[in-house]
Amino acid sequence: MYADLLNALPDVFSLANFAAVVIGVIAGIVVGAMPGLSATMAISVLVPFTFGLEPLVALGLMAGIYNGAMYGGAIPAVLLRIPGTPAAVATTFDGYPMAQKGEGGFALQVAVVSSAFGGVASAFALMLLAPPLSKVTLLFGPSEVFWVAIFGLASIIFLLGGNPVKGLISACFGVFVSVVGSDPIYGNDRFTFGQLEMLDGINIVILLVGLYALPPVIDLLETPLKTDGVKSSKLGTEPIWKALPRMKSYWKTWVRGSFIGIWIGILPGAGGSMAAFMSYNEARRASNTPETWGEGEPEGVAAAEVANNADTASALIPALTLGIPGTAVAAVMLGGLLVHGLQPGPMLFRDNPDIVFGFMWQFLFGAILLVVLGGSLATNSFARLLNLPRPLLGSVIIVLMLIGVYSIHGRMFDVYLMLGFGAIGWVMDRLKFPLPPVVLGLILGGFAEENLRLALRIGRGDPMVLFQNTTSLILVALTIAVIVGPSLKKRFTGKGKAQ
Amino acid sequence: MLNIVKKTALAGALILSAGAALAEYPEKPIEVIVGYSAGGGTDVMARTAAPFIEKYLGDGASIVVKNMPGASGQIGVTEAANADPDGYTLGTFNLPGMMARTIDREADYDRDSFSYLANVVNDPNVIVTSKSSGLDTLDALLAEAKANPGAITVGMSSLGGDDHFALIKLQNATETEFTIVPFKGSAPARTALLGGHVAMGILNISEVAEFQDQLNVLGVATNERSQFAPELPTFKEQGLELVNGSMRGFIAPAGLPEDVQAKLIDAFTQMASDQEFLDAMAATANPVEVVAGEEFRQLTSDLYDLAKGVWDTTPWN
Amino acid sequence: MPASKNHRLARPETLTAIGIILVAAGFLIPTFDMRAISALLPATMLIGLILLSLLLLLSDQRKAGAGEEAKPMTGSPKRVIGAFLLIVAYALATDFIGFYVSTAATIPLVAWIFGYRNPLGLLIATVIVTGTIWAIFDFGMSQDFPTGRFWES
Repeated sequence: MYADLLNALPDVFSLANFAAVVIGVIAGIVVGAMPGLSATMAISVLVPFTFGLEPLVALGLMAGIYNGAMYGGAIPAVLLRIPGTPAAVATTFDGYPMAQKGEGGFALQVAVVSSAFGGVASAFALMLLAPPLSKVTLLFGPSEVFWVAIFGLASIIFLLGGNPVKGLISACFGVFVSVVGSDPIYGNDRFTFGQLEMLDGINIVILLVGLYALPPVIDLLETPLKTDGVKSSKLGTEPIWKALPRMKSYWKTWVRGSFIGIWIGILPGAGGSMAAFMSYNEARRASNTPETWGEGEPEGVAAAEVANNADTASALIPALTLGIPGTAVAAVMLGGLLVHGLQPGPMLFRDNPDIVFGFMWQFLFGAILLVVLGGSLATNSFARLLNLPRPLLGSVIIVLMLIGVYSIHGRMFDVYLMLGFGAIGWVMDRLKFPLPPVVLGLILGGFAEENLRLALRIGRGDPMVLFQNTTSLILVALTIAVIVGPSLKKRFTGKGKAQ
Repeated sequence: MLNIVKKTALAGALILSAGAALAEYPEKPIEVIVGYSAGGGTDVMARTAAPFIEKYLGDGASIVVKNMPGASGQIGVTEAANADPDGYTLGTFNLPGMMARTIDREADYDRDSFSYLANVVNDPNVIVTSKSSGLDTLDALLAEAKANPGAITVGMSSLGGDDHFALIKLQNATETEFTIVPFKGSAPARTALLGGHVAMGILNISEVAEFQDQLNVLGVATNERSQFAPELPTFKEQGLELVNGSMRGFIAPAGLPEDVQAKLIDAFTQMASDQEFLDAMAATANPVEVVAGEEFRQLTSDLYDLAKGVWDTTPWN
Repeated sequence: MPASKNHRLARPETLTAIGIILVAAGFLIPTFDMRAISALLPATMLIGLILLSLLLLLSDQRKAGAGEEAKPMTGSPKRVIGAFLLIVAYALATDFIGFYVSTAATIPLVAWIFGYRNPLGLLIATVIVTGTIWAIFDFGMSQDFPTGRFWES
């Protein structure tokens, strides 16, 4: 297998194949950086187009876009508090406060280096550990996946914000939105009001664009003459190698975030946003100064960005070996593989080693290229866009929101739905309801329900099926630790201080 | 008001299209509506077939694939059913799903809404068991199912699909009872099987071909051994009458001008024996079995009756 | 909104809480027609929303009783409502008269109304944005945007 890996390398460096990765990364950063456009949308628009391309050109483009977009999403998250992709929600927590303090440039440099670190770690996991990691995936049946979802939902506790009542309202809202669509077992409609467009549930991008992009756009138009807090002159055009030493202390966060991202990636369903949330929470928990988190702590940006790139390549492990994609983007990419006759399964690695391993190399180079292409080029040019007059910036974002949401399924219905969420989002924003619990609730609520009900069917109604094996029990223990851990730690450190 | 405008416009379009049909068809691009996202099985079929249909229609015909994903293909097929029957809008069609949807939910089409062109793919069902279940022959499986009714868990994709109908046929033929675990799609069901979380699975042959070493494949629900994986035995060989599968083909809205319909069916029939096409379909794991025109209509009608019969005795939602 | 001083119920949080309670109660009705297991999660969430909103309502009313003034949601309601209506109008226009026409009109219109009035800047921005979208999506990726239902058939 490792010989196949090396044999695939020369092909990756053919002009067309390498150019595809470079173009992909640039396109990905741009797409990710445009509020409203997401990686899922970009790759699904690309898939039909790749029918006519050589496999490695097509796959290189996709690998590049995926890597690029996961970083690109950080740019508006830091500068405008609009996550460019669902996975960049956690990046807003500290990225935007940093930008307001005039450290936006450093925030973006942290983001790009962390993204590249996560991407490289993930690519290595894919290249070297795909077969054993796919065995890990197999350990997770419906009851185990249910506990993973509960574990993720438990971290909502940290996202509730100052007013827990409002935070819980947000979470309930998110979970409620996740049940809209067809029932996961019986397939009958729930809250679709006869609209076929709602049968598949509400796409996360629609909700995200509505909740996160519309309120800032209204702000831009509401106070058009306000001078923006973020001036590109303040962004700091310090070259990236000079900023690197300041990031030395983040290595633990990077390693931890990479593990979390890779692990979430190999589990089907949850994806990048959950990886970023979890990495952020764990890093904050491990920090000596948790009180600075949320106020512009660069390590928070590092934690979120390393994890949301660390699940890119690893999400392809279950996709390539089992046909079950780990993230929404990987699901679309799986389509791109099928187009080229690459059937997922154990034979894939044997039958098409040049393409499969070449694709993995492309992921690795895509991650490395991020630093070069994202570090200086993209960051500075995008930051300059913020010097546009506010009304103009607002109107351009409106157009991007529309095309981003329209392109997911090619229908206006989704755009209207997005505007509805936008109105809700504006009210929530003004009344200080936290938005992250909505996102996490939407991602994990339906996921938890579906797996719970599958598990109960497997157990023929007996709830004990949920506690029948070690993996489940470990996850239950972890969940309890997350919930009661902070209060125990408080007591513990309280004593420590008293000494 | 708007409706009247629409209807008049539609009538106008009908007259126009009738006129157009007299001229040499096709004289503009033909749109094929695919009810799934780009890269899905049905989409790959449509895009693989497109150049061959163009070739056999001749005269520089051009086909444009348009994806309208959503509601398990229902949005796309409804759009195709309600399009102008001028031969410039075709659609992909999935069986038994498209017929089952007219039974288990409200649908704006029925079996008479279409001009049936050709069914292209027939992906037969297979029964597989996980290695850890120990049920490595059909006899062992049926013996266990008879001894402990409902004890065997069956992973499959959603209720009201081909997998589900295959299980119902199996239960009726052998007087057994299984516990259905309907996953969202075949790949998660297969993964649960590989992990031993469910004991048995009903999938399609294209979905297990790559996993033959990791699963016990007990049989294929065809009359004769499938060209796609000829090493796998049929149920018939093992004394069990079980034939079922998932089908994908092409339809047009009902009321297509006869000459246009004849020309299209002719193109599909020619495509069926094009070796290059068969190779391309094999490469994308699509077992081909072309059934054109009237036979396709009959096939759909039979499947509808089957689904309706199942629904009347054991509704699934 | 100066009226909020006089009407205890006109406070934004109170209104929101009442709104959530009403909507959640409305959504609760269809859950009675569902299978128990299908209704479980949505009904729990809706009841949760109702109870939490009651808490929110009570705490806000308590604040009102203590004479604490509610912060208005916006200093310029006309601008906010105007901006939102313009965005909705843009979506409707895209749907009915087509994407490119609507976009070319909306970019300068919104920017102009909200205070950016440099004609050259508006022209350049409109041409660049619309042109880039056309070049990438339509020309490059043959992605169709709405052409307008109004012109169809």
